[in-house]
Amino acid sequence: MTSQPLAPDAAAPAPQRAALTWASGQPLAPWLYLLPAILALVVWIYGPLGYAFWLSFHEWNMLPFAPIRPIGTLNYQRLLELPEMGQALRNTAVYLLGLLPLTVVLPVAVAILTHELGGRWRNVYRAMIFVPLIIAPVAAAAVWRWLLDPGFGLVNTVIAGLGFSPIGFLQEADLAIWTIIWITGWKLIGFSTLIVSATLANLNPALVEAARIDGATEWQITRRIRLPLLSPVIFLLVLLTMLLGAQWSFTYIHVLTQGGPLGTSNNVFYLLWQFGFGGLAAGWASAAAMILFAGFGVVAVALLWIMNRVTFHDN
Amino acid sequence: MTTDKALRQGPPAWIAHSVMIPLAFVSLFPVWWMFATSLRAENEIYSSLPWPASPTFDNYLYAIDAIPILAMLRNTAIYAVVTTIAQILTAVLAAWAFVRWRFAFDKLLFAVIALTWLVPFQVVMIPNYILVSRLGLVDTLTALVLPNTVSAFAILLLVQSMRSFPAEVLEAAEIDGAGHWRALWRVVVPNLRAPLAALSILLFISTWNDYFWPLLLSRSANSSVIQIGIQMFLTEEGNQWGPLMAISSLACLPVLILFVLLQRQVIDSFVKAGLK
Repeated sequence: MTSQPLAPDAAAPAPQRAALTWASGQPLAPWLYLLPAILALVVWIYGPLGYAFWLSFHEWNMLPFAPIRPIGTLNYQRLLELPEMGQALRNTAVYLLGLLPLTVVLPVAVAILTHELGGRWRNVYRAMIFVPLIIAPVAAAAVWRWLLDPGFGLVNTVIAGLGFSPIGFLQEADLAIWTIIWITGWKLIGFSTLIVSATLANLNPALVEAARIDGATEWQITRRIRLPLLSPVIFLLVLLTMLLGAQWSFTYIHVLTQGGPLGTSNNVFYLLWQFGFGGLAAGWASAAAMILFAGFGVVAVALLWIMNRVTFHDN
Repeated sequence: MTTDKALRQGPPAWIAHSVMIPLAFVSLFPVWWMFATSLRAENEIYSSLPWPASPTFDNYLYAIDAIPILAMLRNTAIYAVVTTIAQILTAVLAAWAFVRWRFAFDKLLFAVIALTWLVPFQVVMIPNYILVSRLGLVDTLTALVLPNTVSAFAILLLVQSMRSFPAEVLEAAEIDGAGHWRALWRVVVPNLRAPLAALSILLFISTWNDYFWPLLLSRSANSSVIQIGIQMFLTEEGNQWGPLMAISSLACLPVLILFVLLQRQVIDSFVKAGLK
């Protein structure tokens, strides 16, 4: 991963022809190269972020000729008092924590148990467990709804065959959220495993060999050497799950439960969607978006801070 | 690095296989079931037989008849190809600026670009939607592509690839009188063919599977993408599992074919991307 850095100054040859510069003597060329990217980011990301912030202090139903009324922090106050918001926030936490076993714990365990698997088998398994990641999320939602259908789905046919009564995986209030977590996780288990495996393969083998010579058991080697060396990638997976996990479940919530039954599978991202495009309340939705953005920013900074202090680096 | 065979033994192979076989089964079976169901005859839809007894394309014909699938596939292909090209172009140019020069605020600008992944799409979706509707672009392919012309992730990845490029070659090229523009296109880009190809595959697949933004913009079936087509069958009253699985299979097939052909590169590009 560490490539020989190419110092920009070393790359710029001394005998340069007269180059275009700003009045201040700064080179102009890099800004021209950056122009398309900066333009797009300003127009489609940072500008909208600012606009959403502004909208969050206004009331507007998104119709072109309807007035936009400033209402101060009223959107925020109303939002925080909303019963749906509390439920959605709690569910968001359940989504994130529920995903961790699928996106972190299981992949680390599988990668460690299989890291010495050789050549051809390794490649075959790699290809197979990778497939869910590239399947279109809507198609994944469709096929899981079919598999889990209470009437004729294969899973319930098997459950009925074993003599139990069919289970409404997406219909029962206390199950729906776990079904969505499972589908979200299903797409990511193999991918996370491959990331951990790739890291494991790059670890310095001398450390493990030295421990073996000293008579360490497999468990001791895993506990004392592999896991500490894997800590950066474990943190990376936790970070990814925390920041993107709730977002990844959006598609499944939208096409499978619409947040139901009774809001039990709703999360903040989906609530935002319902406000903004279901309720045509641009101000509310923007306020919710701002709370979300601030919340995730704090989580990201906190995780990065912990990561820098805690993880173990092999130099 | 030569080691005693006995010392290298980790967990025995049977443990690895007994972990991997169930995982591979769970990963693949739903995909298999999707294709199997899509090929079943109507009277066989509820069968638990792992493969269709008498395969037929009836479900596909039914789905193609019900919604404009071919137009949707074409739209999705255009959306994915144009977006990929745009993202690669903006990323090559931007990455070259960061690698080739040191300029005022370069670190800050790099951080600002890197931080875009902290901004969830749901946060900017309302302003973006308002902007394209003011431009009169709702329900057009242009509106699908426009907000996706830059990928921060592509920029970061290419900066990394370009930094590992041997400095002597660049110097030689520019001393020979090629300006930075020609050095980029004649020397750097041709030598980055492998990472560029891997990145393109990744960008193509993620755009192909994109669902949120098309969902917001689509008004008519003829101008929307295949993901919306699947959704039309999903939310319909009464479940038509056969046609639903047929259209889902059609939506996954191009990506799966790409995967089978370029397996190694696809996996490597995603895993490397994840590690960065």
